[in-house]
Amino acid sequence: MDDAQLMVAVQQGDTAAFRILVDRYKKRAYYTALKLVGDSDDASDLSQEAFIRVYNARRRYDRTRPFYAWFFAILRNLAKNHLKKRSVRSEYAAQVKDCGEQPLEADKAPDCLVEADETRKAVWAAVEKLSYDHREIIILRHFEDMPYEEIARLLEIPIGSVMSRLYYARRRLRDLLGEAYER
Amino acid sequence: MNDEEIQTLMMKIVDGVASPGEEQALRQAIQGDEKWETELRAFRRIKEVTDGMRFKELPDSYWSGYWTNLYRRLERGLGWMLLSTGAVVLLAFAGTIGLSRFYSDPAIHIVVKIGVSLAGLGCIIMMVSVLRERLFARKHERYEKEVER
Repeated sequence: MDDAQLMVAVQQGDTAAFRILVDRYKKRAYYTALKLVGDSDDASDLSQEAFIRVYNARRRYDRTRPFYAWFFAILRNLAKNHLKKRSVRSEYAAQVKDCGEQPLEADKAPDCLVEADETRKAVWAAVEKLSYDHREIIILRHFEDMPYEEIARLLEIPIGSVMSRLYYARRRLRDLLGEAYER
Repeated sequence: MNDEEIQTLMMKIVDGVASPGEEQALRQAIQGDEKWETELRAFRRIKEVTDGMRFKELPDSYWSGYWTNLYRRLERGLGWMLLSTGAVVLLAFAGTIGLSRFYSDPAIHIVVKIGVSLAGLGCIIMMVSVLRERLFARKHERYEKEVER
């Protein structure tokens, strides 16, 4: 059964069909959320919340739209809101500590990476410093290895905008990483 | 070739999807231009590093319990919805009974009844105002709107 057929069954109250969809996409959902928010517990929570929203909004599902694109729109907005709340909390913490802007923390081991040598840690720290839109496109292209067409479909933007956003995201990443990446 | 075309071709080259012709066209366009050449080197280096990054795998036990956790959360959500609806129905019923007794009691002075009516009206206006504000924010907040889609 394809995703649209499963969603039709879910709309008719078939929880077994919903379970098949969850099993089909749970890993992809978790790892995408992990890369977007950088924390394993939050990623787990957000990916499950996205499935719950899908279930609650099942009657509004548009059969002409690919299921994962719809799911991804929900997941990315949950991640976006989560990061927005987290950023408000850290801004408040920074104000309390009066630290100002934080430098890239290459020594801090990211809990989501394996074999995190200094170079990878620095790059990941820079990715985490990007704005949400830049970070998202870097993750989809660099870590999810998605072709431009799929990114365009998921983000609902033209392919030209995908390449343009990718260019500015990479340039920002290079600026954050500094001269070591220009040689 | 303008800047925008250079940027687009540069992305294709970094991602390995440019044709040999496009690659050659870009090389010719940026040859001798330190700014573009430096940028292309940096982008390639970043791509190399990210290609080698791996993310931690979760144990199988996590995945086998994923559906159970999700189902519990769904059930709890339904439970909360029923509980809240039930509570609202009961409170509305109790409020109606209480108010009708209050207004029909001749022992309570008319001034007290007017005072309670005004305070109640104030509460309703405030609640409607907050509700309207919430609904407006929900309608106009892009992220929330997309989540609900």
